[in-house]
Amino acid sequence: MVAASTSFSEEGVPRIQSGIPDHLVLERLEKRYGDSVVVAALDLAVKQGEFIALLGPSGCGKTTTLRMTAGLVPASGGRIVIGGDDVTRLPPYRRDIGLVFQNYALFPHMTVAQNVAFGLEMRSVPKAEIAKRVAEALALVRLEPYGARRPRELSGGQQQRVALARALVIRPSLLLLDEPLSNLDAKLREEMRTEIRDIQRRLGITTVFVTHDQVEALSMCDRVAVMEGGRLIQFGTPFEIYERPRHPFIADFVGRTNKLSGTAGEAGFVAAGPLTLRAAETPPKGSAVTVMIRPHRIEIRPKRAVAADPRRNVVTGRIVRTTYVGDLFAYDVDIGPSTVQVEKPTTAGPQAFNQGDEVELEWAPTDTLVFRDGA
Amino acid sequence: MEIGRNSWGFTALVVVLFCFLLAPVVLVFPISFSNDSFLIFPPRSWGVKYYLALPSRPALMAAFQNSLLIAATVTALSLVIAVPASYALTRLEFRGRDYLASLFTAPLLLPTIVLGLAILLVFVRAGLLATFPGIVLAHLTITLPYALRVLATALTTLPASIEDAAASLGAPPFTVFRRVTLPMMTPGIVAASALSFLVSFDEVVISLFVVGPRLSTFPVEMFRYVETRTDPLIAAASVVLILGTIGCVLALERSIGLMGALGKRA
Amino acid sequence: MSAMALSVAVPDQPASRTPLAFGLLLPIALVNAIGFLAPVAYLLRMSFNESTGGGGLREAFTLASYLAFITDPFYLGLVARSIGFSLLITALTLVLSYPIALFIHRADAKWKSLLTIVTVSPLLVSAVVRTYGWMLILGDQGFVNGLLKNAGLIGAPLRLINNSTGVVIGLTEILMPYMVLALLAGFGRLDRSYEEAALSLGARPWTTFRRIVVPLTAPGIALGCLLCFVLAVSSFITPKLLGGGRVFLLATEIYDQAITLLNWPLAATMSIIVLVIFGLALVFYTRIVRALD
Repeated sequence: MVAASTSFSEEGVPRIQSGIPDHLVLERLEKRYGDSVVVAALDLAVKQGEFIALLGPSGCGKTTTLRMTAGLVPASGGRIVIGGDDVTRLPPYRRDIGLVFQNYALFPHMTVAQNVAFGLEMRSVPKAEIAKRVAEALALVRLEPYGARRPRELSGGQQQRVALARALVIRPSLLLLDEPLSNLDAKLREEMRTEIRDIQRRLGITTVFVTHDQVEALSMCDRVAVMEGGRLIQFGTPFEIYERPRHPFIADFVGRTNKLSGTAGEAGFVAAGPLTLRAAETPPKGSAVTVMIRPHRIEIRPKRAVAADPRRNVVTGRIVRTTYVGDLFAYDVDIGPSTVQVEKPTTAGPQAFNQGDEVELEWAPTDTLVFRDGA
Repeated sequence: MEIGRNSWGFTALVVVLFCFLLAPVVLVFPISFSNDSFLIFPPRSWGVKYYLALPSRPALMAAFQNSLLIAATVTALSLVIAVPASYALTRLEFRGRDYLASLFTAPLLLPTIVLGLAILLVFVRAGLLATFPGIVLAHLTITLPYALRVLATALTTLPASIEDAAASLGAPPFTVFRRVTLPMMTPGIVAASALSFLVSFDEVVISLFVVGPRLSTFPVEMFRYVETRTDPLIAAASVVLILGTIGCVLALERSIGLMGALGKRA
Repeated sequence: MSAMALSVAVPDQPASRTPLAFGLLLPIALVNAIGFLAPVAYLLRMSFNESTGGGGLREAFTLASYLAFITDPFYLGLVARSIGFSLLITALTLVLSYPIALFIHRADAKWKSLLTIVTVSPLLVSAVVRTYGWMLILGDQGFVNGLLKNAGLIGAPLRLINNSTGVVIGLTEILMPYMVLALLAGFGRLDRSYEEAALSLGARPWTTFRRIVVPLTAPGIALGCLLCFVLAVSSFITPKLLGGGRVFLLATEIYDQAITLLNWPLAATMSIIVLVIFGLALVFYTRIVRALD
């Protein structure tokens, strides 16, 4: 479920004001290994202070993109610009970045404090100031008493926080995180998500977060860049990605969705089997389409005799299955061409419908997502 | 720069170092085809003079035959002795097992120069000097630890549950060993044989102490020859040795796979 | 039959097994006793005997050989030279083997096995052959001199053989496979992400190598150095052949005393000295390994 920290209008007004400059720009970024193209012509602009996610399944190229941004992998083509400087040909140690690894990569032969101090030593910061800043960084991640410990003495979550402190203490202008929470258990992941988000907000560092977990991406970030097969498919706010996906892959990958096959009719109409549905955007008449509708955007109520609002989608059906999933009821409703699933939060009241009930489903045309087949 | 790929400079350096590492073994080949009377590089004349000369050097030929015979005997004995020993050390529980395992591997810890002298002292007393049994015994002292190591590894990677299954089906212990354990140990046995043979055949320092004028080994005679003369004859002999070794290893690889020989699972 | 089989219990352990273990281990114990334990005991005993010159031997229990050894500057020089050479050779072997080991460690699986096998293969060849190979590379008319002469870089041949230079070069190369193997074993702790982390924090490649790679591979380095040191100190064939009888080290002297001069007590004494050096090296190594952790 989308956890929005602020409310958005239907059009998804972005939180970030448009006057803020871009801090990280990837221009037609490409990576080829022999004949295989791992990242293809990627264009991305991240604003100063923004927290964005690179979201996608394994092999989509998100980690490679991050590593190219860090300088650990040379780009086959394109440009990388950080803070206005073209860093494409620069090695990692000349880029103003902080990197947090999936396996933390804390130096095992150094103490926690020495780990955190390493980046400062590389920048020839005087000893006294190093000690001060290391203490500050450890305080930031709430690990002050652990300075003298070795990494192997710490738990996974603690190691992750040390890795974060080590990357932040050097005050980089760009923070890169490569699936940092993947090795943590679910509870810890949730805690760390909030912690990382809070720290990022406090420090205002431009941040890129690679993940395959859509809940992470949607709940932490200002904008999400969805990647698949080496390409950037959509870059938008969590609301836009979830509610207004521009590609069937996203509608499928992010969140749960109902799928129907159909044909585009006149503008604003789609035929799915015997049903005629209203949609906000439709491809040319006659195109084969896939229709997707989010389960939680459908209202469900007992069948009424009252005439339906013609401007919205209203269909009747019979419930074939009900499922209780803790925070939701899921109703599978047979509406003719196929079955759609409708979700209602359990907080809205006890289970209202049972198997076999005749019900009415209603949803807005803007929630009928229509994608042309073969697009 | 990319961490995964090495820079061209580093790769070039490593190539040079590999050449240094393999130089002696490789350069022996061209010299063996030299027809010069001395060791000159590059050779002034080419031919197979020294290959042809090998059979007509009685001392070398006799030593070659001796080495083959000794190595074969040592290999057979190593297996007969080490197979039961490795079984006892891996499958049976008894007090002092680990100490014994260390003791039996200990000969490898002594430098061969010291072990050679020590064995000489005992052999003089026991009248084993310059005798066939004596040399075999001396070689066994160092081949057994190797054979033991290889066979023990082979046995520990063998799941004991298969033997338990055979036993539970009614097979008495020796039958289990003969029909189940031994066949499964075959890769290890083949590897141990090859290793024992090569170690015995190439053994030179200890052999120097225990051979005699009428009973010598091939490496010892090669050593004696090189000490006094510098001509390409030993190059030809070396090539024969190297090719023989390669043949041995290839046969090993073909029959059981090299990784199988080292006791690793694929 | 099946009912019977299922009720047969697998025989239990200790008491009944010891005679069996005894029987299985008897042959190897015998070989070990005659070929290892007895000789070592004899060696120790012999070092306390007295040599009566010209190959004669007198049963005694004296420290004469030890005293002769410690007071004679020739023998002290022998020990110093043996240890000094071995340290030098160990250092050279380390420097030349480390890049190879690092390269193999970073290679992908296919190359890794192949390169490891190539590195280890010289060990299958007899020491005599490998040393002979060096004789023809370093000889006055050998590979190196031939190359330099044809290139017009030198007039007279470089003296690389029948001296300590040849011994050092040859022994360094001969010991490299051991060092590479020991290093590779110790490289287990090294993960690429550590190097990447250091680079991302601003460390240049050389600093990364110095501060991250080397410390993390220190256990492997220590093991490799121990191994090569003890092998170098006790090496015989290579110093004998490449030294041309002019390089005097502990191992060559042991052989000469035992076989040529028949002074067994002295040879035995020197062997014990070699073992003492081994012991000291091992103690030193253990200290270092403890300090590293």
